[in-house]
Amino acid sequence: MMTLFFLTGILVLTYAMLVCHRIPALIQNFRLQSLFLFLVTLDFAVRHREAKVFVVAGLLLLVKVILIPSFLSRLVKKIKVDERLGLFLNPLLSLISALFLTWGASVFCSWFLYTRQTAVFAAFVVSITVVLVGFFIMVFRMKALSQIVGLLVMENGIFLLASVMAGGMPFFVEIAIAFDVFVCAIITGIFMYRINKVFTHIEVHRLTDLKG
Amino acid sequence: MQYSWLLFQALVAVFCAPLLSGFIRKVKNALRMRRGAPLGQPYRNIVKYLAKEEIVSETTSWIFRAAPFVVLGSTIAALMFVPVFSFSFSAAGMGDVLTVFFLFALGRFFLALAGLDAGSAFGGMGSSREMFISSFVEPVAIVTVAVVAAHGWSAESGEMSRHIGTSFSRMVAAAALFMVVLAETSRIPVDNQETHLELTMIHEAMLLEYSGRSLAMLEAAASTKQLIWFSLLGGVLWPWPFGGAMTLTDGIAAMALFGLKMIVGALVVGLTEIGLAKMRLFRVVDFLGLAFLFSVLALVILSLGY
Repeated sequence: MMTLFFLTGILVLTYAMLVCHRIPALIQNFRLQSLFLFLVTLDFAVRHREAKVFVVAGLLLLVKVILIPSFLSRLVKKIKVDERLGLFLNPLLSLISALFLTWGASVFCSWFLYTRQTAVFAAFVVSITVVLVGFFIMVFRMKALSQIVGLLVMENGIFLLASVMAGGMPFFVEIAIAFDVFVCAIITGIFMYRINKVFTHIEVHRLTDLKG
Repeated sequence: MQYSWLLFQALVAVFCAPLLSGFIRKVKNALRMRRGAPLGQPYRNIVKYLAKEEIVSETTSWIFRAAPFVVLGSTIAALMFVPVFSFSFSAAGMGDVLTVFFLFALGRFFLALAGLDAGSAFGGMGSSREMFISSFVEPVAIVTVAVVAAHGWSAESGEMSRHIGTSFSRMVAAAALFMVVLAETSRIPVDNQETHLELTMIHEAMLLEYSGRSLAMLEAAASTKQLIWFSLLGGVLWPWPFGGAMTLTDGIAAMALFGLKMIVGALVVGLTEIGLAKMRLFRVVDFLGLAFLFSVLALVILSLGY
């Protein structure tokens, strides 16, 4: 019951990301999504009484709920770029596409899922949806910062998928990935800062313009 | 026995409804580090309005006078079809949960007309906005109920509540219904109950011309409607069945559980309201579009059998 509730929370927040018009809203949304992911992991850890999963959950809380979103929002303030995301596809059309993505994911899951447990099905569908929506955000939003957020969202989805399918990845892999993601966010953030300095904007579709 | 229980439920619900409003206000104020009005403030308001003189504009027709009675009457009638804290029956087979939406639409129709009746700019603005929003809200509510009804192939509230257990589609439907509840009880992303700022008013704008007894009736109707929406949401998320013959202990347990549900609901709504900003009117389309998408998603998941 609780797992299902948290998973639905993740689903709601994932869809809500497509309605966002501004970069800070997208970042806050990502923070909340990670918080719900943390709650799912914590729930798993409490039910299975595994110390390692507690550590992973704590790491998730530290890196994805606190560090990365605050770093990104600081970056947004620092580069003083226009806050609007620049939508290639308006919110309602994005939502309808996301509905088709989720539909595809659930049909796909019902083909091969070995169990009819609701929680397993839900987690599977939600994680695939999160991955696809992250990809969607990367493709259909103009600002380069949304590419970072999209990548992080995809990573959240993969984390969820791994914990559903295999009961989490090996402990060291988990820790390595957490740091990897953090470093990736920082490096792309600095990269973004440099791009903004050179091009005076971070809009992806204009980055191919020649610069003397 | 059944009918007396039903009437008792309606009475308790009507009398407790302002308490829910007061509690939500209290939660919001606590989150903002303010003291706020006491818990019983909505009751005091109603008593105050009842004692005051009623002033009716000369230019209004009978609709302005009739609207409060229709609104309050239809809201209380809707209570008969909703599983508030007893589930095993609704008003003797007179209708199902969809009747509730019809009764709400009736009240809304009269309230919108009354808003236009006095001919003030605010009333008309409020009415048009209310109709605009309700045209988005109603499909979501109906699809959501359809999803829940499909669990037992009946939209009758007693039959619906016999098919308990959490399923994924029901959870997703509850998420959609939650957004509908925010819109229908004039909560923050859509409307704001606390302000009479001209640009943001929707529900309050329609009530602007009312005073005295009529205003008291409309306030009571608004809080009762809020209680109905909350209990619908509670019924979808956390259904609790009680058999046909209610014993006294069953009844007390059911009421305690209902109170618990309302407290949880008020906390969640208060937190959501604090966390969100009021949306521009045309952004509300995105918000309610999200709700509609979620209700359709619930239908999709249901079709796969989860």
